[in-house]
Amino acid sequence: MTNAVAGLGLAPDAAMVTFPIEMFLPGSDISPVEARKREFYDGLTRWRSTLGGAGAAEAPPIKVRGASMDEAFARANNLMLANRWGDGLPLWPPTRERVDWILRGATQPRSRRIGIFPPRGGVTTIETCAIALAMSGGRPEYLPVLVAAVDAFLDPASGSAQLQAASGSAFPVVIVNGPIGAQIRLNAGFGCLGPDPQRPAGASIGRALRLLQQNVGGALPGIGTMANYGGVRYTNVVFAEDEANLPPGWAPHGTERHAFARSQHSISLAFANGATNIRRRGAKKETPEEDALQGMYRMADFMRVPNMPGLAGYEHGTPGILMLPGVVANTMAGLGWTKAAIREFLWEHSRIPTEQLRRAGCPAWLEIDASKVVRESIALDPWPITASPDNFIVVVAGGGHPTNSYWLQGYSPGVVGRTVEVPSSFDDLLMDAERDLGSR
Amino acid sequence: MVTLEFHDPSGAIEVKQPFAPRVAALEGKRIGFVSNDQWQAYRMLPLLKQVLEADFAGIEVLPLDAFPQGNAVIGSEETAAQVKQSGVDAVIIGNAA
Repeated sequence: MTNAVAGLGLAPDAAMVTFPIEMFLPGSDISPVEARKREFYDGLTRWRSTLGGAGAAEAPPIKVRGASMDEAFARANNLMLANRWGDGLPLWPPTRERVDWILRGATQPRSRRIGIFPPRGGVTTIETCAIALAMSGGRPEYLPVLVAAVDAFLDPASGSAQLQAASGSAFPVVIVNGPIGAQIRLNAGFGCLGPDPQRPAGASIGRALRLLQQNVGGALPGIGTMANYGGVRYTNVVFAEDEANLPPGWAPHGTERHAFARSQHSISLAFANGATNIRRRGAKKETPEEDALQGMYRMADFMRVPNMPGLAGYEHGTPGILMLPGVVANTMAGLGWTKAAIREFLWEHSRIPTEQLRRAGCPAWLEIDASKVVRESIALDPWPITASPDNFIVVVAGGGHPTNSYWLQGYSPGVVGRTVEVPSSFDDLLMDAERDLGSR
Repeated sequence: MVTLEFHDPSGAIEVKQPFAPRVAALEGKRIGFVSNDQWQAYRMLPLLKQVLEADFAGIEVLPLDAFPQGNAVIGSEETAAQVKQSGVDAVIIGNAA
């Protein structure tokens, strides 16, 4: 609640009466509300904010000392955890020297304001991003992608204001298109959603975004974010589409969804609440046609689930992101499949019979939805999991092996794209990376 | 001795507006609810309406659905304008996750 009022430009306190969630479960005793009625009355009549007046409060720098660098580093990490700024893994203390180094990747002044981070309303600048990226072990050449991702995140169309605090464990997914993916060592192939010392950019950028969500946005577990599980939130998901292995005629995601030019550095941000590996390949001696078709049915079957949080993106967002390895995409393209045809197939074959929706209590969720499109979709039998086939995101990414595909189940009111601007010194930054990390 | 000096990563907070003044007393006042439309509100706010009406003479507590509900709308300028136009003296916000 203090996050919510701070996000509206009020002092970060409020007249509050709080109750544990257990008290509201069906059949439970809510008499404590009446027992504490005086607190409500005081909040309406006597309460006064104890915090200061108007203005922006910039925190002073922090100092730690140690007998050695090792000790100072450990104390800095302990302090960051004690102040609830960490994620439990080691952090780089964001010293002025390190943050200035990261800012070599900036195209705008460090004080340039991107927005306020919901729900807490922390002012987010280029420097704020650089501080988070420094903490997450990032490098200057990653900053342009992080800044674009933050700009997209803060766009109200992304739905971040609600998802930051909500219980459904949404995590941002950042899909990068254009040459910048390979240039900064973002993974598009084997293990692209996990750790990779050869292509470490996604982990640092995603971790920095998570630190911003927590430290600037106030999404602290159980306090600012009520996510039951919070999976995938250490690093979120940041990967590049494998454009080198896009079949002829298949457009990159940024071009399809946001109309960016093929060679344009860009990002696309959506939210997901699940990550599922799908064994797509057949087991025996299927023909290529059978293998492709059976795999498509199997993927649609994984999508045919009553994902009620996904209603948030029913009209304009996405039901999820399907990742196909390049080798699969090329085989399917050779058989005549396009991205559009794949989306149409998935839309048609992931529909849920009304009877199954009814037995799971889903119509009640549809009836109370704010969207007229969602409410009216109750009449459709079988019920489509999204309003339009175009809402499915299909990207080519993952290792060059035909067995698996991957489904990031959507919880995404919007899908927001941004171009990525790089500084004039970008080539120098890439050369520094070659020097520091070895050849790509 | 080694000293590490580093930035606070939490960003600045801007205070742009004061809280609404409190009412002197609740008798005879008009009170509204603004809810983010989570399920807890349907149990708690009707009870609160009941106790307020029992404890304060002449108080009017508007129904739960008098104003737009839901996370997407309760923070909007449109909702704030509706609340002001309604002439309520105070509002109670039901905010749950």
